[in-house]
Amino acid sequence: MTDLQFGRIVEYLPDLLRGVWITLGLSAISVSIGVVAGLVLALARLSGKRALNWPAYVYIEFFRTTPPLVQIVWLYYGLPILTGRDLGAFGAAAVALGLNISAFFAEIFRAGIAGIDRTQWQAARVLGMDLGDTLRFVILPQALRNVLPPTGTTVIYLIKGTALASAIGTPELLRVGQLIANETFRPVETLTIVAVAYFVLTYPIALIFYAIERRLAAGRA
Amino acid sequence: MAQPLVIVDNVVKRYGNDTVLDGVSLSVPTGHATVVIGPSGSGKSTLLRCIARLEPIQRGRILIDGMPASAGTETSSKGVDEVSRRDLSHEVGMVFQSYNLFPHLNVIDNITLAPRRVRGMSRADAEALGMSLLKRVGLEDKRDVHPARLSGGQQQRVAIARALAMQPKIMLFDEVTSALDPELVGEVLKTMRELADAGMTMLVVTHEMGFARDVADDVVFMDQGAIVEQSHPNQIFKEPRMQRTRAFLERLLEREGVSRRVG
Repeated sequence: MTDLQFGRIVEYLPDLLRGVWITLGLSAISVSIGVVAGLVLALARLSGKRALNWPAYVYIEFFRTTPPLVQIVWLYYGLPILTGRDLGAFGAAAVALGLNISAFFAEIFRAGIAGIDRTQWQAARVLGMDLGDTLRFVILPQALRNVLPPTGTTVIYLIKGTALASAIGTPELLRVGQLIANETFRPVETLTIVAVAYFVLTYPIALIFYAIERRLAAGRA
Repeated sequence: MAQPLVIVDNVVKRYGNDTVLDGVSLSVPTGHATVVIGPSGSGKSTLLRCIARLEPIQRGRILIDGMPASAGTETSSKGVDEVSRRDLSHEVGMVFQSYNLFPHLNVIDNITLAPRRVRGMSRADAEALGMSLLKRVGLEDKRDVHPARLSGGQQQRVAIARALAMQPKIMLFDEVTSALDPELVGEVLKTMRELADAGMTMLVVTHEMGFARDVADDVVFMDQGAIVEQSHPNQIFKEPRMQRTRAFLERLLEREGVSRRVG
């Protein structure tokens, strides 16, 4: 048994594929939560109002500085004890990862928005535009360009980070891989295939972000 | 004298302990071009920014078309935010030294964004208005171009068209030619001159004394946060009443003379 035997893993491909779907689901939900909450947090930080800035600051630092694995465990085991509400393994993992990543998105978006020259705000203001329209049509489209590269990196990081959900038994890609490895005693082959699956999931994301970046740049020339 | 469109009443503006406007009073008559001159740091641009409500004021008040636009935060419970921005924003158009066009939007979208969003105009109506304004500033062929592709003078003319698209009652010009290469100054001044000839009420902060002499109905000289002298350009340029005005103009003319000899 010194040679690599990928053939034995083939029969487990349907299981791996189910794991891929769960990884994708976790990623999609947590990215959605993360982007929306991150934008709200960034705006709260930039609002100049203490009552908004402070809670956002505490939230961001809390989620940035504690391990996401612990956050998942808190939500999975702790929430039912405190509130009687059980999100299930998938739900707890998706929400915890979303809340965690929102802190990182918040800092990325905050930097992107703060990087827009304040004369752009002033130009919109003397044209009579309100805060919502100014953000939507003037500030955020320009900030988008600045935040795309770090946002793409964070999304890719998160997709791989969903593997932490394996700790509470969510049958996502890595968890499925571990189970197969245990059954076949072929951890190297199994995990190599798992790694390839993560690459297949994440590399297109990188390409999509590059494409959006190029399109935005072309519009400006 | 025509009915004043803007009344600045004893306005005090401070940044911390630094008093930038020290009890400024000024009225801008409807249909007049009023030009504000003075050394840098005299508070000219701040005065414009207060009228445009980009800055709160600490004392005094500003009326636009008879309506309160801004009131001193120290003397009135109604600060700048109390007066709804949407109500008065249409009245005042402003053009900046650095153009401040929206770089991600092409020329026509720069112009039509505010009419569509603030005025609720349809895209078709806003674009028709935008095109007529582009024609007016001589840039109808630049409709779909992004600002980065335009020269500074062209960008500034688009910025003027963008401000006009909100059909303001008064246009504020804050050193709008100061950032331009010398050969591009003329085209922007020409646009402003045409606006003045068309009867637009204008308040212009500028270092272009030729423009002040030829176009202004009134010239205001500011120094150290106060208005030192205000009169017709013939008066102020030929026989300034105040010593400080005379000293400022002499320094300026000396420099223009030197640059003319060198140039």
